[in-house]
Amino acid sequence: MTTSTLHRTAQAASRTAARTVDARKTYGLGTTEVRALDGVTVDFPVGTFTAIMGPSGSGKSTLLQCTAGLDGLTSGSAFIGDHDLSTLNDRDLTVLRRDRVGFVFQAFNLIPTLTAEANIILPLRLAGRRPDADWMRQVVQTLGIVDRLHHHPAELSGGQQQRVAVARALVSRPAIIFADEPTGNLDSTAGAEVLHFLRRAVDDLDQTIVMVTHDPTAASYADRILFLADGQVVDEMQQPTADRVLDRMKRFGE
Amino acid sequence: MLWTTLQGLIAHRFRLVATALAVTLGVAFTAGTLIFTDTITRTFDNLMGDIYADTDVVVRGSSQFEGPMNLGAQRPRVDDALLATVRSVDGVEVAEGAVTGYARIVGADGEPLGDPANGAPTFGFTWTTDERLNPLVIAEGRPPAADGEVVIDVGSAEIGRLAVGDTTTVLVQTGPEQVRVVGTARFGTADSVGGSTMAVFAAETAQRVLAVPGEWDEISVVAEGGVGQQELAGRIAAALPADSGAEAVTGEVVTKENQDFTAETMGVFTLFMQFFAVVALLVGAFMIFNTFSITVAQRTRENGLLRALGASRRQVLAMVLVEALVVGVLASLLGLAAGLGIAHGLKALLDGLGFGIPAGGLVFAPRTVVVALVAGTLVTLVAALSPARKAAKVAPVAAMQAVSVGSTGYGSRQRVLVGAVVLGAGVTALLLGLFADVGQPLALVGLGTLGVFLGTSVLGRTVSLPLSRAIGAPLPRLRGLPGELARENAMRNPKRTAAAASALMIGVGVVGIITIFVASMKATVDQGIERAFTGDLVVDAGASIDGGVDPGLAARLAALPEVGAATGLRVGPAVVDGEALLIGAVDPATAFELLDLQPREGSPSALGPNSIAVFDETAREQGLSIGSTVPVEFAATGTQELTVALVYGEELEANGPAGTYFLSTAAYEANFSDRFDWQVYVKAAPGATLEQTTTAVEGVLADYPGVEAQDKATFAASITAQLDPMLALVYALLGLSIFIALLGIGNTLALSIVERTRELGLLRAVGMTRSQLRSTIRWESVVIAVQGTLLGLALGVLVGWALVRALADEGIDVFRVPVGTLAVVVLLGALAGMAAAVLPSRRAARLDVLKAVSSQ
Repeated sequence: MTTSTLHRTAQAASRTAARTVDARKTYGLGTTEVRALDGVTVDFPVGTFTAIMGPSGSGKSTLLQCTAGLDGLTSGSAFIGDHDLSTLNDRDLTVLRRDRVGFVFQAFNLIPTLTAEANIILPLRLAGRRPDADWMRQVVQTLGIVDRLHHHPAELSGGQQQRVAVARALVSRPAIIFADEPTGNLDSTAGAEVLHFLRRAVDDLDQTIVMVTHDPTAASYADRILFLADGQVVDEMQQPTADRVLDRMKRFGE
Repeated sequence: MLWTTLQGLIAHRFRLVATALAVTLGVAFTAGTLIFTDTITRTFDNLMGDIYADTDVVVRGSSQFEGPMNLGAQRPRVDDALLATVRSVDGVEVAEGAVTGYARIVGADGEPLGDPANGAPTFGFTWTTDERLNPLVIAEGRPPAADGEVVIDVGSAEIGRLAVGDTTTVLVQTGPEQVRVVGTARFGTADSVGGSTMAVFAAETAQRVLAVPGEWDEISVVAEGGVGQQELAGRIAAALPADSGAEAVTGEVVTKENQDFTAETMGVFTLFMQFFAVVALLVGAFMIFNTFSITVAQRTRENGLLRALGASRRQVLAMVLVEALVVGVLASLLGLAAGLGIAHGLKALLDGLGFGIPAGGLVFAPRTVVVALVAGTLVTLVAALSPARKAAKVAPVAAMQAVSVGSTGYGSRQRVLVGAVVLGAGVTALLLGLFADVGQPLALVGLGTLGVFLGTSVLGRTVSLPLSRAIGAPLPRLRGLPGELARENAMRNPKRTAAAASALMIGVGVVGIITIFVASMKATVDQGIERAFTGDLVVDAGASIDGGVDPGLAARLAALPEVGAATGLRVGPAVVDGEALLIGAVDPATAFELLDLQPREGSPSALGPNSIAVFDETAREQGLSIGSTVPVEFAATGTQELTVALVYGEELEANGPAGTYFLSTAAYEANFSDRFDWQVYVKAAPGATLEQTTTAVEGVLADYPGVEAQDKATFAASITAQLDPMLALVYALLGLSIFIALLGIGNTLALSIVERTRELGLLRAVGMTRSQLRSTIRWESVVIAVQGTLLGLALGVLVGWALVRALADEGIDVFRVPVGTLAVVVLLGALAGMAAAVLPSRRAARLDVLKAVSSQ
């Protein structure tokens, strides 16, 4: 391999945080077969905020899980950076998730026995690494949880818990953050706060974020929206607003 | 409602089995013990019935002597002349005298058969010529007819490779006796009885080698046809001279006495085994409690739904209790079946230890079924009561709420109070039993121990949190984040951790008590021998107290030029001033060259046939001094007033020659019919090395098969080694209860894992590897196991100390905590914790990450 190929590969990797090529995922066999993903090819460019929407059963969560290395594809490929996930065993996948991927789930994001701070540095400690103190300070300040670091999750509000989860996703400087309905359990004020922080992570910290949501308002924080239906990408929207998203969503019902 | 419960149970088969297992084992112990003791009791009852089946009247010494150590009643012998008197009574068809004594058969390889010091006795009997009076049946050859002839049991003939016509030696109180085997015999149809060996002699030979010429242990009588037992006994009693010291009793009475004695002996064993059954059931109760608590917590939402749909609290409570009832009954039934297996196993174990039991089916009494079922079911129901009440308290609104897997706290103030009261009562009972003058000290110590264990269990959840924190303290540094999570997980639910640890605590606690007790005893023996025994060798016949070597051996050894001094020790049962004990006897002329007993007052040479020596402390307690008299009761001579001639300051403990009292050989011979030296102590001559002396002594011992010379250290070790087979059994039984407790820890972990599915999934999602996850669970298990072990050992040390104190009067006065051994126990506890976590951690590592994080 020549230096220029290496360079080009690195450039390609730096442009795309994650991508899928003809991703297919089926459950069951024969008449009960369900095609959760039916040939999805998408790119998630570095420094962008992508929302994935679609009706229930459209495959949006499956797409997120397969791209994040939480689940395997039936055929096709998923890449994080230039790692083909299908070539990695459980251990390597785990290490990849730990070092390169951040997660924010809808609920149950935090380990109840650990303090907020311990939860934030959890992936780093699993890797046996020390957190970068400056970065850590910046993240918790940005998220406004400096005075909550020594609290246990049970002592935090839902919004605070999600912000701690976002901090955890950010602190290891992952290549990409996957958020699965991160505001699904929050009231609108708390939800707006969390989305605001995700937006800032992209704008100020150059993070890449992929978020599954069914809330048009939440989706409007993204740079673009992918619409899924029956396991396929059926539409894409750049620079969305809540109203446009709502209109588009209504069409799924028809 | 019932149907819902049953369906739930069937849906959770695994959980059901795991929960039931503990109760099953406890019930199995209970049932197994009952079946086993019933079987042995019936076997021996039948045997006793057979022996005296055709004996109508027995004439025997009328005074009865109850010695120490549950040896049974002993009676003085009756005179030969009575035989003629009895025969002349109208209605007597046959009357024969019989004696029983110590006789050890030497096998073809020169090794004596049996191990009377640790195992079944080795008997010598009279051959009774009338078949009706003789339970033995010739298998081969003929009965013994003359001096130098012997019949042995078929079992001994096989083990010793002795055939009819062979010549061998039988060790008896008169020394090694050369005999020819003229026949083999069976006891009814049994080749041998309870592993004991039998050497049967013609009447006069038996009197000479087993007892004293001219005396019988008893005279057995067969009545003429038409004469009743009662009537004949009356006639014989009337014919007995008033000064004969004899009585006439019916065969039925003797059979009944023997059966009662068997029952009493078995009672001790039953109690011992039931103790382990109680331990197992207690362990089981903790497991049931934990399983039900966890499953009830997991079903909070389900129970909320039932309540929302209109189920009353009572109905929810009943549902959980019905579940417990089903588990309890099933477990008990299984336990009953397993109990049969245990009974078989115990029988095989006793066979293996040399106490063979005559063949016969297992006795399965209805009482066994009732006791086992009631015990198992009751324990299960009681243990499930508190979880059931908790389930009933679930509000209907819980159906609509997210279930929070919260941690439980320290336990209420009432609980701490109750725990403290129970613990306090336990400690008080323990101390009262130890130091106060009460009627039943051992029972109080036992009750106190139970109280201490229960109190500690009740307080468990309060002490669990700080304990987990302390035990887990090094984990974060040792194992990083998995270590920290392990510690936190062990701390998050103190109630659960405490219950799992308590189950282990009980078994380990008893191990601790026994280990400390044995260590203290060994230390006492070592110290006593070190201080008081100034000789070099101990010649030991390997006999129990009713046997030994003939006194001629000590004289022969003393005559050796390499030997400076040799003296024999005799031991026999006596009741001194109301206290039943084994009393030793030595020859004052030679003993004090070898035994440094620190004479304080009086002089050894003053010890004559009517005197006794008293230990300093005892003398002070009883207000005895030189010249005072002490009533001492002997089996052969009744109560004698002995005069204190010596007060000594050094006790040689635990089977040593001088406990709190001892006699001179002259006094012994005046009051005991045995003529055995139990042990002979030897001191090397000045100038002779230990090796030279040993060689010379062993030269003489060549004539005494099975008799060995031991140096000081070996001797000390052999005294305590007598406990080893018993200890092995105890540890094996406790090992089983510890094993159940470990299953309990595994079960608790498995249920916790189900409860923490999402949490574990999250950990896996954010980058915890499978091996890190396994490590987390493994170390949590270690924290729980070490907690149980430490609590157990703490209780073990406390109760062990109490026990040693309680037995200070019995001669154990050194309290020794074997730190090394206990450290090994803690280490084993930790390893066992790891083992308990193997399956749950594997299961956790296999968790589907996705399922875990996406289950909403």
